[in-house]
Amino acid sequence: MTKHTFARPLTVIAALVFVVAACGGGATPSPSASAPASAAPPASAPASAPGSAPASAAAGPSQELIDAAKAEGNLTTIALPHDWCNYEEALQSFKDKYGIAINELNPLGSSGDEIEAIKANQNNPGPQAPDVVDVGFSFGEDNKDLFQPYKVATWDSIPEAAKSADGIWYGDYYGVMSFTTNKAIVANPPKDWADLLKPEYKGQVSMDGDPRTSNQAIQAVYASALANGGSLDNAQPGLDFWKKVVDAGNFVPVDANPGTIVQGATPIALRWSYNGLAQRDETAGNPEIDVTVPASGRFGGVYVQAISKYAPHPNAAKLWMEHLYSDEGQLMWLKGYCNPIRYDDMVERGVVPADLAAKLPDSTGAVFPTPDQLKAATDLITKGWDSTVGVDVVEPPQ
Amino acid sequence: MKRRRTTVAWWLVFLLGLLYFFIPLYATLDFSMRAKPPFAAYTNSFADPRFLESLLYSFVVGILTVVASLALIVPTAYWVHLKVPRARPIVEFVTLLPFVIPAIVLVFGLIRIYKEPPLPLTHTDLGSNALLVFAYVVLSLPYMYRAVDVGLRAIDIRTLTEAAQSMGAGWATILLRIILPNIRVALLSGAFLTVAIVIGEFTIASYLARPAFGPYLSLLGNSKAYEPAAVAVISFALTWLAMLIIAAIGRSSRTRVEIGGAH
Amino acid sequence: MATTMERGASRTRPARRLPTAWLGLVPFFAFTFLFIIAPVLYLVAGSFLNNEGQTTLQNYVDLTSENTQRSFLLSIEISVVTAIAGGIGGFLLAYAVIAGGLPRVLRTAMMTFCGVASNFAGVPLALAFLFTIGQLGIITVLLKNFGIDPYASGFTIYSKVGLEIVYLYFQLPLMVLIIAPAIDGLKPEWREAAENMGASSYDYWRRVALPILMPTILGSMILLFGNAFGAYATAYQLTSGTLPIVPVIIGAQIRGDVLHNPGLGYAMAMGMVVVMAVSIGLYTLLQRRAERWRR
Repeated sequence: MTKHTFARPLTVIAALVFVVAACGGGATPSPSASAPASAAPPASAPASAPGSAPASAAAGPSQELIDAAKAEGNLTTIALPHDWCNYEEALQSFKDKYGIAINELNPLGSSGDEIEAIKANQNNPGPQAPDVVDVGFSFGEDNKDLFQPYKVATWDSIPEAAKSADGIWYGDYYGVMSFTTNKAIVANPPKDWADLLKPEYKGQVSMDGDPRTSNQAIQAVYASALANGGSLDNAQPGLDFWKKVVDAGNFVPVDANPGTIVQGATPIALRWSYNGLAQRDETAGNPEIDVTVPASGRFGGVYVQAISKYAPHPNAAKLWMEHLYSDEGQLMWLKGYCNPIRYDDMVERGVVPADLAAKLPDSTGAVFPTPDQLKAATDLITKGWDSTVGVDVVEPPQ
Repeated sequence: MKRRRTTVAWWLVFLLGLLYFFIPLYATLDFSMRAKPPFAAYTNSFADPRFLESLLYSFVVGILTVVASLALIVPTAYWVHLKVPRARPIVEFVTLLPFVIPAIVLVFGLIRIYKEPPLPLTHTDLGSNALLVFAYVVLSLPYMYRAVDVGLRAIDIRTLTEAAQSMGAGWATILLRIILPNIRVALLSGAFLTVAIVIGEFTIASYLARPAFGPYLSLLGNSKAYEPAAVAVISFALTWLAMLIIAAIGRSSRTRVEIGGAH
Repeated sequence: MATTMERGASRTRPARRLPTAWLGLVPFFAFTFLFIIAPVLYLVAGSFLNNEGQTTLQNYVDLTSENTQRSFLLSIEISVVTAIAGGIGGFLLAYAVIAGGLPRVLRTAMMTFCGVASNFAGVPLALAFLFTIGQLGIITVLLKNFGIDPYASGFTIYSKVGLEIVYLYFQLPLMVLIIAPAIDGLKPEWREAAENMGASSYDYWRRVALPILMPTILGSMILLFGNAFGAYATAYQLTSGTLPIVPVIIGAQIRGDVLHNPGLGYAMAMGMVVVMAVSIGLYTLLQRRAERWRR
């Protein structure tokens, strides 16, 4: 007679699985079933979203805002690696404090990817559309029409030069361009820009990102200009310098990150000081990571926050900003070795613990470009990389 | 004499293959043990909630894909065998399409179409998950169809169907209780391949922003040093184990139902 | 009893029933249309549009640009090399464990391993080879101990050659899996008959085995070609998209990186489809020829 069929257990499994999938949806414990109902699409709404509450003065987010954000239930972030400026703590503390789930998109994305994600999802209020972005300084100014304005409660303590007057974008933290070296592979880390051309570093020098889309990589090129006959107004020597690095066979065309640095693919990486220092702590000597700010040509870079004009969860986005710009939020960044933008104000008011302040790297003499200089340099580098350097990078010597 | 010399040559070939396949695996294992203390990479991996969450998510999606695939393919292949043999070349051509159209191209088209009305699947989590399953059904179509086809060819569908019909069975009963159990073993390998593809898949899951294992693995490889090596070793070992189990099942089960005779 | 019913049924089936029977295939064709045909049509349409939304043939003209040509040639080269190397290597490996006189258990082990390895791609594979032939890979270090420094003489894993070595890891197993049934099909009686007639091993191969196997071997190599041509994840992970093979370039265009020209991306995707379609077509032809021997 017929054997015991496996159709019965199969149907049970299928039923179970449908139930799990319907309840679960994603890995985050978000009320995703209710999400479609609450996302009455603000996708087409311009600058101010209806029903959002203005933040009251120094006290932080208003209760109205908190309630509106909780009603949305979800926040979608993008390109926020957990070890970048201690974002891990910022994200977790937001979830713990307000009970709002966070949908983290593309942690490895570059500033360019973030902008593209907004553009590509203008009419899509689904989980692929980011609410907030954290991009390089010039990316903020260049894409003003993609953002909606919002001034956090602590707006006045953000330096004038680091925010747009209309509240479209606002600086969040800064750091200095540095060399991050895996000492287990490179016993003698480079100390200055000229060192990068030395033959002992053959096939070891890399950037964190693609210099056509990643802010960190673009600024690495910009920074190198300072030590090679260029200036904040002239980034071309930076491109020329990197061509020399490629020609010397020292450049490895791989996007550097903590994984590749330890695994040996990119033993020397151009990263912001805070990234290098965070990794130094994380590996705790296994292997030993050296972070050196170059002796000459010290370059500071600022990042900015902005809320997407098409944000599916505008109130959650605003609450997130309040969270980041509160004293606690700023200190979290400080723990990640980033100089928070409200640093001076907080130091004046005495809210910065001395031990945290002591951990910041020595960045005396670092220069910060103005928005105009940045824009000119970014344009030059993104367009000039392929023609000056790019062709050789793509097909390494055979 | 000549036989022994040739056998030695084949042993050499085998050993060379063995070296090529195992050295990278050994290198991964070796690197994963460089964490301090040695097994930290493994314990850390399991301790990370995202590891198990994403693995579970992908596994569930894999099972769903298999179920959806079967629901689509088994009745279709059965119908083609039984009633519409002329449709066979067309159906086979369709199942070859996912080979011809590379994943990245397909994904992009799917996302663009289903991002907007009339069928805005990407607008919700549920819709995005559904789109993911459909995309995976497409990707696994060649394998699943072939598996089902092989299974169906090995049994006498016509006789089985008519016997069942003569006992009053409807189509659903025939498919679920007669056909499916008899092609079970052939299905297993197709199902396994599908789940393996889904768990390892990266492109579609990351474009749809799904919390799947593929994007998690990519994130791990870029942010942590030793954990990705550990996870690679774990997943390879588990997969191989599963394959061995399936091979064992395949050998030990009877694949046919006795029909006819005096029952 | 069963046979009587069958004969009766076929005699009385009217021709008019044919269209209704096709209704049973509607779900399948509906699914196909929704999730395979529609996206492809979308891409075809998109390939004729430019960034402003106007119809144009410019994208196809751009396909002939030097960069795009270089991309396609690079992709084709890598795919051909790994298809041939994988094909020959895979065939030898398969023959070794099936008919080479090795213990049976090795065959099972090899087949199951190949099932796993043929899907081993992306991050784990890239990492595994980084640890093997990367700058600090154990083979690189081993060779350095013997005085050979591959990286000094210009080799790097982030190159076309490096990628080819990595691709073989899933090409070889795929070949083993595909060719195994064909090798099984080589009846030992043929070999015995050949030997009885005084043929040497070489003769056997040249006159009997290889001609029988050749359509399957060639067909499988074509499948390997397609497999390599479409591979994206591994290449991306290894080279961060700096090696301009076609899937990576398409990905970049579509994601909006750099040049942001999705129309060109779609056109390149169509080019890819053509290449794949030709290879699958050839494969099917060769399959038909190979089946002659299986009956």
